Order: sequence, then C-alpha cells, then structure tokens
Amino acid sequence: MTQEEETKQKSRKARNSSGHVLNPELSYKVEVTDKDGRVVQREDGPSRSYVRQWNEIFQLQAGAVASGGVVKDTSGVTQTNAYRTSVCFKCDAGIGYTLTGLRVGKSSTPVSISDYALGAPIAEGAGVDQLEHQLTYFTAPSVVGTTLSFTIQRSMVNHSGATISGIWEIGNYISFTASMMGRFALGFRDVLASAFDIPDGGAITVTYTLKVTA
Amino acid sequence: MQRDRKMKSGGLWYSVTIRDRDGKVISRERRRARSMLGNWYRILYAQMSFSTCSLVGTNGIDRGASWEQENWKFKAAADEDYIGIVIGTGTTPVTIDDYKLDTQIMNGTGIGQIRHLASTPGSPSVAGSNCEFLTSRVFLNNSSGAITVRESGIYCRCKGPTYYSYACIVRDVFGSPQDVPDGGSITIDYTLRVTA
Repeated sequence: MTQEEETKQKSRKARNSSGHVLNPELSYKVEVTDKDGRVVQREDGPSRSYVRQWNEIFQLQAGAVASGGVVKDTSGVTQTNAYRTSVCFKCDAGIGYTLTGLRVGKSSTPVSISDYALGAPIAEGAGVDQLEHQLTYFTAPSVVGTTLSFTIQRSMVNHSGATISGIWEIGNYISFTASMMGRFALGFRDVLASAFDIPDGGAITVTYTLKVTA
Repeated sequence: MQRDRKMKSGGLWYSVTIRDRDGKVISRERRRARSMLGNWYRILYAQMSFSTCSLVGTNGIDRGASWEQENWKFKAAADEDYIGIVIGTGTTPVTIDDYKLDTQIMNGTGIGQIRHLASTPGSPSVAGSNCEFLTSRVFLNNSSGAITVRESGIYCRCKGPTYYSYACIVRDVFGSPQDVPDGGSITIDYTLRVTA
C-alpha cells in the first residue's frame, strides 16, 4: 500500500455518533493482507455495538442466577434456562473453530440491539467463500495512565482459490450455559464503513480492543 | 424524564437518593459513572481468554482472576458489606487500579455505621436500541447521628487460580456529599446499559 493509499484508508474510520471517548470503550481494527503479507486494506474505529446478549449474560453472573435466564443463541433459539457459568464470555477459539470467537460475514444490515448472530457469517473451510479460521490471540490487560486495555485478535486465511469479496461485518461469538449445555451467543457486532475483499492466499485479521478509563 | 434525557448512551450510570425518616426524598444525584475499574476488565479478560491474570482484591492481596462461575457476582444479602453495592466517606479521586473504596462505611447501627439491605440485580430489559439492567441497594441510617456519604462502588465475587476473593469493580466519588439523616436512608442505583 502506498503512503497516500494508507493515509486514505486510515481516514476511513467509523465515527462514534456522540463524538467522545466512552468509559468503557470497545474499538476494532480490520486488516486485509495479500499472499505476501502486504496490507492492502485497513479500517479502524470505535465499536458501538454490544448487543443484548452481552448484558444478559453479565446479569446471570452478577445476579448469581441459578436457572431460568433467557438468552438467544447464535442459531436463533431462545434459551430459557440459562444460568451463571465458568465459561461465560469464553471466546478463545482454536484453529478451525467457529462456534465461538471472532467471525466475519457478508451482511451489511445495520446492527440492532437484538442481533443474535452475524447476518451472513463466513464458514470455515477452503471451499468457495470459505475462510480458514486461525487461533485466537489475547494480549494481557495492561494499564497505561488512567486506562486499562486488552485485545482479542484472530486471522482468517483465504485458501478458496478466488477472492472473497464483500466482507461487511465482524463480530464475536461467546459462550454461555443453558440447560446444562454449552451454548453460544453473539456478544458484539459491527458493520464496516466499506466492504473488504480478501484475495486468494490472503487473510483478514480482526482485532478488538476492550478498554476502560477511570 | 430526566433519566431518559440524560441516559442516551451505553455504559454504567448511577443515582443516589436520600430520604428522611418519613421516606421523603431530600436529595438526589444522577450521572454517568466514569469509574468502571480495571478489575472489571481483568475478570472479563480471564473469562474471555479462559486464562488467568493478576487482580488485587478488596483485602489488598493479589489473588488473581481466573474463569469461575461466581465471577462478577454482586448479589448481596442483608448485612453483607463485603459484596454488592457499597458506600463510603472517602473523596480520593478514582484511579483505574483502585481495589476498594477509600473509606468504606461498614454495616451496623453504631456510630458511623449503616444498615445494608439485600440487593439483587434486576432482569435485563430492551427498549429501542438499548439493553439495560438495574441494581439497587438501600442503606438505613440507624446510628443516631447523620452520616455523610461521598463515594459508592460495587464489590463482586472473584476467583483466582487458587483462592476466592472479592474485587472492587466500580467506584464513584459523588459530585456533592450526601448527608443521610438519622432514621433516613440512602439508595444507590447502578444501571448497566449496552447500546447498539
């Protein structure tokens, strides 16, 4: 990417409608690299898009709810016996695992508080319009000045034999428990300012930064 | 209406309501809580990554944070002053690594003490593009004297790799001190809201 192109990409940032930094703050960065590892497309900006399941699962923990919690899972089924669990918010997805962790998709439908999954998530694989999901990486929490932050990052590689175009959405699938079973819910979702295209042999890397400022 | 006008965006909000012995509201403060602390996110990191990190509990000891079903529990029974919403008299400005209130007011009816009632986080509700839930706690002043409250926070259950502890995850210093008359009460409401 030339300096001019990079400057243009950097300026393409989703804006927080209220125009100021929030406490807490969620932000994202998306990068597409070609088969040689060169960055060909990039976007970063503040996320405004926690969805209802995030708060519902947190309330199960805060209230030490032992049964009867209501959370809709990523398959669209409303689980009516959710409860506190040691795996709440778990999203340390491994290679090829797509039930939890960061995902990308093709839907540009604006985020709604009641979204329960990506609109059109890209499946795991090396077939047409599929991506190979890599390991999830976290950075440990660190404090700088009055801010604590950590990041979650995942790359997805395109070995489909063709460009995968029209990536519009990113999000995070997290674990919860209902009826003694592991379940999965959408925690946050963002629609990008522009569509991303992943060349064959290239990859898309999504990084979310979770930050809180006192 | 004031609540709706001010609470436009996501985050944590609190309100403080003082009542006299007859239940009449004599003071109220409502604002965005600027003071979700680092410990909230340390637990979140442990849960999301299914790993551990350091965390200093309310006793000042680093027991760490790990994944555990009781993490973030701040449902509190009556007279429990080590968990749930708590209040104090301190005015030291909030810092990201605060691990307890500056000067906590303990449970009781003695001088400078206040009765802690039970507190349970409410069920989440969705309205428009918001999803929120409210946690409220009432404190009764039966100490025979007025008590001035200047700070509030939330203590929650947290488990490290080995030991359970309690973590301060929220602390706020009020915009103005709140005097709770003898026989009166103070109610602290925290609302956690996410907005899409």
